[in-house]
Amino acid sequence: MKLARTLVWIGFVLFAPSARANLIYVLNSGDATISLIDSVTRTEIRRIPALREPHHLTLTPDGRDLLIADSGGNELFVMDPATAEVRRRVRVSNPYHLAYSPDGKFLVVASLRRNQVDIYDARDLSLLQRLRVGDKPSHIAFDPESRMAYVTLQGVRSVVAIDLATRQPAWQAEVGREPAGITWVRGRLLVGVMGESHFAVLNPETRQVERQIPIGRGAHTIFPSPDGSVLYGTSRVDSRIIAINPETLEITHSYEVPGGPDCIAFDPEGRIWVTLRWVQRVGILDPRTGDLETIRVGRSPHGVFVQPVRGE
Amino acid sequence: MIDAIYSTYAAFIGWLYTAGLQPALYAMGLMNYADDLYQWLDFAVFGLVGIVVSWVVCRPLEAANPVERWPDRGAVHTDMIYTILARVGILPLLAFVLLNGAQRWLDGTIAYTGFVPPTLETLFPLLREYPLLALACYVVILDFGEYWRHRFQHRFGWWWALHSVHHAQTQMTFWTDDRNHILDDVLAALWFGALALLIGVPVGQFPVILLILRLAESLSHANIRTSYGRVGERLIVSPRFHRAHHGVFSVGQSGKNYGVLLPVWDWMFGTADFRRDHYPETGDPSAPEGMAKGGWLRQQVLGVRRLAQVLVGRG
Repeated sequence: MKLARTLVWIGFVLFAPSARANLIYVLNSGDATISLIDSVTRTEIRRIPALREPHHLTLTPDGRDLLIADSGGNELFVMDPATAEVRRRVRVSNPYHLAYSPDGKFLVVASLRRNQVDIYDARDLSLLQRLRVGDKPSHIAFDPESRMAYVTLQGVRSVVAIDLATRQPAWQAEVGREPAGITWVRGRLLVGVMGESHFAVLNPETRQVERQIPIGRGAHTIFPSPDGSVLYGTSRVDSRIIAINPETLEITHSYEVPGGPDCIAFDPEGRIWVTLRWVQRVGILDPRTGDLETIRVGRSPHGVFVQPVRGE
Repeated sequence: MIDAIYSTYAAFIGWLYTAGLQPALYAMGLMNYADDLYQWLDFAVFGLVGIVVSWVVCRPLEAANPVERWPDRGAVHTDMIYTILARVGILPLLAFVLLNGAQRWLDGTIAYTGFVPPTLETLFPLLREYPLLALACYVVILDFGEYWRHRFQHRFGWWWALHSVHHAQTQMTFWTDDRNHILDDVLAALWFGALALLIGVPVGQFPVILLILRLAESLSHANIRTSYGRVGERLIVSPRFHRAHHGVFSVGQSGKNYGVLLPVWDWMFGTADFRRDHYPETGDPSAPEGMAKGGWLRQQVLGVRRLAQVLVGRG
């Protein structure tokens, strides 16, 4: 079976259209599958069974492996991002969101359902520290020097800063109701305040919210474009994507994206791939024209990743 | 065709959530539960579909070839309330609201011991390649667990006091499947939770199969004079097989046919009754009248009263 699948895959790679095509990974958290999409044909070319509930994913610092976190299955899938072959699986307690520290030393994993944050050694994924934190640790960000990991605590309106040297919480600051996504932007933390309608701009030095960026009800998460020139934020209730100037933090554009836009990934052509959490689709938004196309995927699609794979 | 049904269903759930439930959650300050309640909505709508499918399949069969006919179906109406509460997810939602924090604390505590709950697929990696086979394995193991839970419901007096709410029904129909005391449902959830800690929870990406399994359970309670034949009776629990379990002489510890989906467990453990012409009257003669004919709340109260009587030694 595995041999047959590999042969089919090799055949597909060899005989696929020569046009430049990217491989898009969409994690269907509601039905435990991973959709693989061809960006040229805009079709789902394969659906890979996960274990229970895959939510988020990240590349290893060297770019060799794609880590897919299956929270309900207590596993990390280590995949070859170019071929989607599973290289190995690692038993991990309820991995929901995960991110490598910028220095590549640590993998930090937030467990939404167990109120814990785990710090793993990035080299061998051995557990270095398990921290019991406040209610519903959700998303993770780092400062560029890898001194701190910042984790939103959805149930207690806060962000907790974890000192990566001592591997202990250093401080905690309140940011608003149900904080979700978090991103480091030029010395500030931008936090999607899901229970409200703005991103909070948190100064990690003063630990105060300095300002709010109004984006719409259910402000969720923020992704910088690959060149860092634009920040894109999602609002899941008002269903829109907002473009923000990272220098001024002013809104420069708003795109209506029905279906509850959640996670974002960018393809080399500058398009935005966004999971539409509540309508079982992934959207392809061209930010230059505002054109939006959608493709059907599995239930409750969440994490998304673009791998430039063919015709390069 | 199936693809179109899935697409329509997805669009409908999406519309319900984005136009109705999510804005309401936002307004009430409950966005913390946005993901959970999306799953609940899916569960509830799927539950409604399940009720409709059961009704479409079972009701004509009950009308065409009933074991019993009743001039007054008042007791059946009470069972409808049980079904709606259970399958539309009102009771699961209530349990989620009440137990969610405790669940996370328990999960976190278990994780702190270093124990990472396995799944069948981690124990038997071959199953990863065959999700349908994995689902089949889960169904068999969980059904085995259900068989023993069911036996214990009849074996222990205090548990029988609660389970007798299910058995008190003298007008058994396909609606009776979900007629359970709330505390009995809580115990069932704990039982399932313990099993899930050992083998994980089953994959959920085969909704049609789950619908068929649920239909089979409804059908087993249906008021239909039918058996599945000499072989079929040994493969899956039939209306005839399960009616024998609900018979008036099969209550408490004298029970037979405990299997929920697969009769093989009764066969293996010597509790099977495969007489294919045996369609007894149902009910629990020792239960108070209100437990059979009363409304939902009265049955719940009587269940607790019966439990208290057993616990103080007067039951």
